[in-house]
Amino acid sequence: MNARQAFAEALLAAEPVCPPGLTTWNGSAPEKRFAVYRNTVTVGLVDALADSFPVTLQLVGEDFFRAMAREFARQTPPRSPVLALYGDGFAEFIEAFPPVAALSYLADLARLELMRVQAWHAADAAAVAAETIVRLLDDAAALPQARFTLHPSVRLLRSRHAVVSLWAAHQSEAPSSSLATIDTASAESALVLRNGLEVEISVIDEAAAIFIELLQQGRAFGLAAGQALDADSRFDLAQTLGLLVRSGALADLTISGSTTS
Amino acid sequence: MTARADRLRPIGAVPGQKRRSLPERAGIGLKPEHLQEILDTAPDIGFFEIHAENYMVDGGPFHHYLTRIRERYPLSIHGVGLSIGGEDALDERHLDRLAVLLDRYQPESFSEHLAWSSHGGTFLNDLLPVPYHAATLARVCEHIDRVQDRLKRRMLLENPATYVEFAASTMAEPDFIGEVVRRSGCGLLLDVNNVYVSSINHGRDQRAAVSAMPLAAVGQIHLAGFAEDTDAAGASLLIDSHGAPVAEAVWDLYRYALDRLGPMPTLIERDNDIPPLPVLLAEAQQAERIMKRLSPIASREAVA
Amino acid sequence: MNKTMNAASLALALGAAMTMAAAPIHAASHGGAMKAETEKCFGVALKGKNDCKAGAGTTCAGTSKMDHQGNAWSMVPKGTCEKTMSKTSPTGNGQLMEFKEKKA
Repeated sequence: MNARQAFAEALLAAEPVCPPGLTTWNGSAPEKRFAVYRNTVTVGLVDALADSFPVTLQLVGEDFFRAMAREFARQTPPRSPVLALYGDGFAEFIEAFPPVAALSYLADLARLELMRVQAWHAADAAAVAAETIVRLLDDAAALPQARFTLHPSVRLLRSRHAVVSLWAAHQSEAPSSSLATIDTASAESALVLRNGLEVEISVIDEAAAIFIELLQQGRAFGLAAGQALDADSRFDLAQTLGLLVRSGALADLTISGSTTS
Repeated sequence: MTARADRLRPIGAVPGQKRRSLPERAGIGLKPEHLQEILDTAPDIGFFEIHAENYMVDGGPFHHYLTRIRERYPLSIHGVGLSIGGEDALDERHLDRLAVLLDRYQPESFSEHLAWSSHGGTFLNDLLPVPYHAATLARVCEHIDRVQDRLKRRMLLENPATYVEFAASTMAEPDFIGEVVRRSGCGLLLDVNNVYVSSINHGRDQRAAVSAMPLAAVGQIHLAGFAEDTDAAGASLLIDSHGAPVAEAVWDLYRYALDRLGPMPTLIERDNDIPPLPVLLAEAQQAERIMKRLSPIASREAVA
Repeated sequence: MNKTMNAASLALALGAAMTMAAAPIHAASHGGAMKAETEKCFGVALKGKNDCKAGAGTTCAGTSKMDHQGNAWSMVPKGTCEKTMSKTSPTGNGQLMEFKEKKA
């Protein structure tokens, strides 16, 4: 193994080790000096995760979170120098991490938090003008074949747990009072998007999630609405569209091959 | 025109289009904590510096604010992830991202570090030290050539703060850096705090370390605060934490450097325990007071 | 399966949605919807994660910036999760809850 490889491996080794070939001017043992690098690497990655997963951190406590995040960082160090989106795979790590096995909602909560970060940094896109949509109503016959382009920040999470309620409870200063009233085992779907400069997280019905997911996949308006209604007869299309329009989530729409913007 | 000014003129810019350089003033690092306040209060500051990688995202608030701030202030883009001292080939995708960023914001200055941070495709998120010998010298120069070719501009290379030295080193740090500058034509970002930290950490004379650097190539100065620790023998070990005000000893070394350089764009770096904006602005003003106290004639003679 | 909603229903819903969206946001939520106040929400502004600082030190024990040697495998989560409980109740339908984060 060459010197550089040894240096790199020692930075992420579980136990403090010191690579060969290091010297010090005063003959002091280099281990402690090398530990400055080890410390910087690990703490930097753990800090990045703590910044991206603040509610996950609150749920398990800072000490536990940092120890768990360190474990993840050593197993899955970043592959890119761009740390803004570091944390891909953290939810899957949590899912398989025995010490949090009892917290069955934790992995989905981490997924939600990663989506929040992704939405934050996603590309900008202007919302389609209201007049454009209104004009579309004049040609109602073409509506079933209309296709929507969603804002690049739009993310959907369909969870078996009440992760949005849990997340929302942590947006106030004293989350503990409301936490006990949340039934963590009740399923929730989340719509995550950036509206202007703000990331918004909404609880939506599963049928609404199906509808939006199909739109995102480029399926036709009529088909997406039909499938959602098929999944749940109480699917409220107007309400769901209202949410999308209000949040600037509709970036474009096309009818029979022609784009409006 | 002095020799220094000649050598500092950016090279490789679009033909017929002169790229502006940073003003001979002090600047501060742009932190998300201060974005709105900067737009609201429009503080009088020489320039802002960003870490390139933080803006390598598609859109959102970071770009929103930087676009507005860049319209009003000179900008320095400081890379922290290119791994110029790395053994791997330069990450071309990362260079592409840098090219996009520089094209979008047209910064007055672009700088990177004499360090490595990636190895075998893993990003290690630290500025790691390189041994100073012929093989690393060749590799570092090759990498800087590639950067300057790809980005079509001269870059500044920052001297590192280090905690260990390598048995394999055959050159002193200033000689190594001087040779890199000579071969690649890059400029030097003289981090005075790093010179101080490394001098204490390796038992060197800090003023001699400054004097031995290729001062004619300096295009910018960095100042920052350090944390104090001790090594295994109980000797002082300074850590480049960027988490404290600039230390008095570093201000002294800054004066010493400026006496040899003349006025120079100077950044106050702060990445830990970010204080309120006015605190950083006051530190920048302190740097500008020191710059103004220089006699212009004396400083020009110093570099002549 | 593979049902398609007819044009008239789509137009009706889209028209209603546009009316809804034009109304002030707080009035646009329908019955049962809630909007959490997040004025004091922590960590609203994401920080830049890349920087060039070194860790604050190796011997300043007790700070959270230290690389703790604690082993996550033998630790127990001690946070707000202790306040959560799981109970069975019918899933609320037709709920549209919206939470908003503050900008940077």
